[in-house]
Order: sequence, then structure tokens, then C-alpha cells
Amino acid sequence: MKKVGKFNVLQHELVAEHHVVPKKDEDKVLSEIGIARDLLPKISRSDPAIKALEEIHGPLESGTIIKIIRKSPTMGYSVYYRAISSEVFK
Amino acid sequence: MPSIIFKDTKKNIELLSKKAPVGYAIDADVKPGVTEAYVTFDKKVFPYRLRISGIDEYKEGSSAVEKKKAGLMTILAVQSVESIDPVPVSQFRKGKKKLGEFKDFEEVELPRIQVVEKAAYLDALSHDVKEILAIAGKKKIELSISLAEQLAKYKKSLSQKQFDELMGRVGRDLESKRIDPFEAVGIIAAQSIGEPGTQMTMRTFHFAGVREMNVTLGLPRLIEIVDARRIPSTPSMTVYLKHEFENSEDVVMNVVKELENTTVIDVADIVTDITQMLLTIKPDHAKMSERLVNQSDLLDALAKMKGITVISDPDSKDIAVKPQQESFKRLYQVQEQLKILTIKGVPGIKRAIARIDPATQSWILYTQGSNLKEVLEIDEVDANRTFTNDIIEIAQVLGIEAARNAIYEESLRTLSEQGLEVDQRHLMLVADMMTFGGTVRAVGRQGISGRKSSVLARAAFEITTKHLLRAGLLGEVDPLTGVAENIIVGQPITLGTGAVNLVYRAFTK
Repeated sequence: MKKVGKFNVLQHELVAEHHVVPKKDEDKVLSEIGIARDLLPKISRSDPAIKALEEIHGPLESGTIIKIIRKSPTMGYSVYYRAISSEVFK
Repeated sequence: MPSIIFKDTKKNIELLSKKAPVGYAIDADVKPGVTEAYVTFDKKVFPYRLRISGIDEYKEGSSAVEKKKAGLMTILAVQSVESIDPVPVSQFRKGKKKLGEFKDFEEVELPRIQVVEKAAYLDALSHDVKEILAIAGKKKIELSISLAEQLAKYKKSLSQKQFDELMGRVGRDLESKRIDPFEAVGIIAAQSIGEPGTQMTMRTFHFAGVREMNVTLGLPRLIEIVDARRIPSTPSMTVYLKHEFENSEDVVMNVVKELENTTVIDVADIVTDITQMLLTIKPDHAKMSERLVNQSDLLDALAKMKGITVISDPDSKDIAVKPQQESFKRLYQVQEQLKILTIKGVPGIKRAIARIDPATQSWILYTQGSNLKEVLEIDEVDANRTFTNDIIEIAQVLGIEAARNAIYEESLRTLSEQGLEVDQRHLMLVADMMTFGGTVRAVGRQGISGRKSSVLARAAFEITTKHLLRAGLLGEVDPLTGVAENIIVGQPITLGTGAVNLVYRAFTK
């Protein structure tokens, strides 16, 4: 199913790369950064970027880890992780 | 893929969704091949989608649900009724053009795109850089990519031995410049932004080089950013056009026309004649040409208004408007409605100004007022570069990561415009903290400081009694892990050396 409209959030310059971390790699990621899943920074279930990812990967459960690769002015690129939270912000 | 759109009542749709799959008789002729129908209640947004599996001619006495009592023509075999994210009417296209006016029924196309992820950055790196990253990985050096790119340049001119030495030194240097464990980075960031902040003038008004555009700058803007205001005092957008339109002045002027929200009162005077119960719209020619509106645009806009009779005289430019119901109250209401009647434009955008960017020699549009969601859907606009200075709006339309980047870039720009240099990392920390919870939170009582886990830390900040009382009622526990709470109880704070416990084990004989 294609998205309605002509605008793709994930391609916007301000939006960093969002990638879904596969279920089997989640533990590896968590042990690498040494943080429990519920202490990770959050990203809302209703976030436009998550909705766009759902168009590609199908529904994403809350708690799924999203790998975010930002363009950083100091490092070139930096990697950040967020976990999908069930909260919906209006 | 052709679709149909029509207006319907809420009652009909509720009935349909209960009964689906079912036939639905509507009062329009539908061409075969239509699989989707979008339904609106208010002619503005379309919150329902019907999946259609077949189209048949209407015959009397069928079991289908009927939209109206009379004039039915077609039966749609409705598979299901879905409630979707409302689609605004501006997204539908009829033969590549926007719908001028939507009445009750229309056959349209709905443009769709395939959502694709951004290309992974690692794939874009050159072979040399990847190699250097691999070497660094083996030596356990945490090399950043920008450094690896620089090293790649030197690698060719150096011998293997020299290069190893260079890598070793880079590794040692990185190690020594690393932030120490339990360093109070937040306090340092606060001080580093606060100190230059005192040098900003309280009331900075500055015309940002564009005529008639006044954008808040300086300290008021910085406060606005960290307070995460819902609407900034001067919302403004920077609109880029797609590369093929960037140099064409005609297209640019058309987009300006499409953007600017012009109401009747902006281009005309309205004169009320109480004796004849008549309103006369007297268009101001100079204002009309400045706003790129012509007489027919004005008449089209008036035609959409209900409850009035428009009497236009071909000889004169003036347009007379008469309320259908003759009462002074109604006359007044119509006058007020006329004032704010939109002729054209995107809601929320008061003014748009086009300017040639000296660096790239291409047109960029600046707007007063902001409506990111609708501007991004305009055909000529480059949706991937256009942005606004309203951070909350960015969070809603582009997501939390975009908001984080926007906070960082806006605050950096505000500071550097004032000639103040603050290390980027401090601003990144602020941006990361503000977006930590998935939504943009202000720095302060309502936001970050007001949501600390420790009761004592919250009470020490603001509204002491409220927090203590609440904690007492709910039986909150304070594990004393932060700074403020440990100062209150008189313990060493958990920062720097205070965070390390020393255990002395005496020699046993």
C-alpha cells in the first residue's frame, strides 16, 4: 500500500535516517550501549517518521528499537537509539 | 488509479460500516474501474474510505442502502468502510490539476508515493574511509567518520610505519579529550549558553534583510526555543522550490500567489448601505495587483459563500452583495463573514516574499505565518528542504528527530547571528534533552526540571510545597542519586570524585 500524498517524511533534510533494529539484534544493541530498554530515549508511536516506517515494515510494536543515524557537525555521522513508546502526543 | 470523492452524511456512513459488505446506491454516474471512494462531511477533509468491489446500474427495489430518496443512478458494492487519517481536499487531483471547486461528487486521482528509507550512510562512504574505520576498530580506537575522512587524505602520502604512528597518536589524543565519567555536562552546558546569553540585548528587533519581514531574534528568540512555545511570536517559513522551477520567475510568482492567504478585506473596501440592506465591495486596484488577485478570483470566492445574492455589474468593478434574509443582524453577520472570506492561499500564511539567494542565484520564498503540512503538498515546492521556525509544528509534521535538529539549528543560528560563539555540543545536549521523551519539552518547571525523578530535586527548583505535598500523599521514594537532593541532605554529590566509592582493605597479617 502506498502512502497518500506526494511527500515522504523520511527524505526530508531535517529528518535523520531511521532504521528498524531487527528483533534478533535488539539484545546485542542494548548490551553494546549498556542501557535497559525502558531507559532508552523515546519516540512516539504516532511520530510521523514511525508512521512512514510502518508503511514499509508493517505495524511496529511499542518497545521496538529504532536506530537513528544523524548527520553530526562534529563527528560526520552519529548513531542514536530510540525505543517506540506507546504514548501518543497531541 | 481513479477514485471518487463525495459528500455524505455521518448517519449514512455509520449505517454502511455496520452493514458492509453491502450495496450502496448513490446519485451519480460512476465509470467502471473505480475501487476507492473517499467520503467527506464538510467538503474539507475526507476521513472515510470505502473499498469498492463492483459497480452496477441502479434498479428500483434493490436491497442496497440508499444515499438519498430520489435521483439514484449507481450501486456501489462496498467491501468495507475504513476510517483513515483525514485527507484534505487539496490532495486530490483532476487531470494533474488541483480541484478548483468541490461540489458534491467528483471523479479524481489521488497521488501516492512509495515510502522509501534514506540510503544508509555507510554505503555512501568511500572505500578508503571504510578501510580506516576497520583498522581503528581493530585497535579499539573510537574514530568518528569525519576524522576517518581526514585521515584517508593523509594515508596515501604516508608510509605504513608513519600511518601506524599517526593512528596511535590520534587514538591517544581522543582518549585524553574524552569527557570524564561523572562530569557534570549539563551544568557546563547551562553555563556555556548562559554566560554569552547575558550579553544579548533584551529587546532585539531586527529586520532580517527582507522587506517587510520582521523575525524575532536574539534573547527573546532563544527563550522561545527553550520554552518550546506552541506558537512562536513570529512564525516564518523558508520555502524552497524544486530545482527545475528555481530559476523561473513566473513559477515563483505563481507559488507566491498560491501561498499568500488573501481575504476580501485585504484587497477591497466593504461599504454597508443600511437603507437598502446592501453591501458593496469596492475592489482597490492597487492592492489587487500587489496581491496578484483579479476580479474573477474575487467573484469565485464570493460564489462559495452561502446565504447571499451576488449582483455584479459588468460595467463597474464594484460588486453588490445582498443577504437573502432581510434583517440587520444578518447584514452585520454577512459583513463580518465577507471581511475574512479567503480568496486564495494557504491558511495561516499572511505574506510570502520571494528573494534571490545570492549564494546559489536561485529563488527562495520567505513567509510570514506558517503551515508546514499544507505547504509541503504544493506541487512546485521542494518538500525535502522547506522548513519552518515553529519547532512544535516540525515535531508534529516531520517527527521528533527533525524537531531535535531544528532546535539545534535554530539556537545555533540565533546565537551566531548575535556574534556569540557557543560550542555546538552544548546546544546538541540541550536539543537531545528537550526531545528525550518523544515530544518537545520545555526547559523549566513544565518540562525537564519539573519531571525529574527525585522529589527533593523538584522541590528545590520551583513550587516547593506542591511537590512535597504530592510526594507525601503518594508515598514517593527518593533514592538520592542526583545532585540537588544530596546537597539538601548534606552528602557528597554523585558527581566527579563524589561518585566514586573508595574501599580500603587493610593488610591482614
